[in-house]
Amino acid sequence: MARTRLLLAAALALAACASPPSRSGPILLVDDAGDTTALAGPAARIVSLAPATTELLFALGAGDRVVGRTRYCDYPAEALAVPSVGDGIAPSVEAIVARAPDLVVAYRSGGNQAAVDGLRALGIPTIQLATDLLDDLDRAALTLGRALGDSARASALVRAMTDSLAAATVRVPEPPTVFILSWDQPPITLGAGSFLSQLLDRAGARNLFADQPQPSFPVSLEAVASRDPDLILVTDEQEPAWASRPEWQVVPAAREKRFVRVIGSEFNRPSPRAARAVRELRRAIERAR
Amino acid sequence: MKLGLLALLGVAALIGGVAIGAVALPPGEVIAALLHPGAPDSAIVWSLRVPRALLAFAVGGTLGVSGAALQALVRNPLAEPYLLGISGGAGLAAVVAIAMGLASAWLLPALAFGGALVASAAVYRLSLVGGQRLEPRTLVLAGVVVAFFCGAIMSALLTQTDAPRLRNAFLWLLGGFGGASWPALGAFLLYAVAPLLVLFATASSLDLLSLGDETAHALGARVERTKRIVYFTTALLTAASVAVSGMIGFVGLITPHAIRGWLGSIHRRLLPAVFLASGTLLVAADALARTVVRPAELPVGAVTALIGVPVFAWLLRRSLA
Repeated sequence: MARTRLLLAAALALAACASPPSRSGPILLVDDAGDTTALAGPAARIVSLAPATTELLFALGAGDRVVGRTRYCDYPAEALAVPSVGDGIAPSVEAIVARAPDLVVAYRSGGNQAAVDGLRALGIPTIQLATDLLDDLDRAALTLGRALGDSARASALVRAMTDSLAAATVRVPEPPTVFILSWDQPPITLGAGSFLSQLLDRAGARNLFADQPQPSFPVSLEAVASRDPDLILVTDEQEPAWASRPEWQVVPAAREKRFVRVIGSEFNRPSPRAARAVRELRRAIERAR
Repeated sequence: MKLGLLALLGVAALIGGVAIGAVALPPGEVIAALLHPGAPDSAIVWSLRVPRALLAFAVGGTLGVSGAALQALVRNPLAEPYLLGISGGAGLAAVVAIAMGLASAWLLPALAFGGALVASAAVYRLSLVGGQRLEPRTLVLAGVVVAFFCGAIMSALLTQTDAPRLRNAFLWLLGGFGGASWPALGAFLLYAVAPLLVLFATASSLDLLSLGDETAHALGARVERTKRIVYFTTALLTAASVAVSGMIGFVGLITPHAIRGWLGSIHRRLLPAVFLASGTLLVAADALARTVVRPAELPVGAVTALIGVPVFAWLLRRSLA
């Protein structure tokens, strides 16, 4: 990982020194799996297999070079005009090949290695990017910028995202604790290794289970009750029905319906919209208190 | 005597299930919470731990007794609610609900219950030979076929579901008592007590059934009627169990065998013993499930097998020695 970052930094430094945006010639990409992929020139036909990378490509002004997306890539609205190749996890190699891409951007996950190997065996340059957390965003943007032959624009996007996030971030002396409920049967919450937990940190609140490193896990109601959250974060559209179930009455925040409700894909995945998500979350928390 | 021992074990497991949990409470505080409903931790103990331990016990016992009765009915040591397609129908209905985003807290158990009943009716209809006789061998085959069919639809649906929902559906299928409450316990008992009593009442017919249809008939059993009663009561019991706790396998398969090896196969004694042993096993498994990785939980079905298989292997070796 450290080596990847180092290589990437070196590559970026080189790119920043002397590269006009549309320089032709081979481009070397080092992805989040540590693999090096060579492109003959800037990618012109890209299949993006994660909603976050699709958003980044559009934000980098390369929306017209995206020729394939997953069925979950729903932002920006123009992305919906791009043909879908189906799922982003265990994707259909055939559907991707049919789009004749010169670069495939896969979501880094164990379930995708077979598809990545298959695409590479067919001679299609394929990179794997992790896009789970806020910290993944800059790295992904810079790698995509290199692939597009426009590192300068990627650096500018990274600066803009960093600045807007910094501006949106709130620090309060005593942040309220927020229990994130992602599913009620069985109760599943998100730990520190989740994007929403990171958004909460920046929105002046604290994930009730920030001491748990995993992204998500089934949690004991008992533990929720004894940690006694100030608020409960729900991302459901409808009014949470579970809150009136008897077993939830031991959690005062559920009993008193102290909910923070946020709806939208900007809360599910890191994207250039993260700063906006932080501000919206902050408003929702203030409304709920 | 042996029954008394099992009952003691059951009580010990229940006490353990109430004493430990995701939050470490000293025994003194648990007792205080039990005695004084106003004590600081009484909400955790009374509203969560007590109904959860009791529900685990009741569901465990029910699955065990269902397994024992089905094994006698089809004269097949592998018989259990899973094998006979009943859990499959319940699981399928639940997965459909979760995949379609319909899974509200109240709807899910009801749909699981409905799915189990439909699946068991299908199995029953398939295994009526010549329109009247319930043939045990056909029943097993029909059950396996329906279970596979449900499983196939589930796999197909799950690949079409987005990732978080998929994970949730799997977790639900693995079973657990995270949603236990007094009303859930009440609803379960409402469904389960009468069928359980019916099963206990058929104990002596089960003894005859396990000898084979002809022998049972010759000895005066009303074979077809008993088989139908046993089949539908176990279906009802399994449906109720799946509705409150998801698909918990293994208890219904292994405990009856373990107890049979120890107590013999007279059902009048076997069934209550299996009830106590299975309940104890599930309470212990659930206590581990919610404490080993606290504040997270493990799926109770996995823990049941992790405890049960070594115990069973030991019993098996001992009974062969």
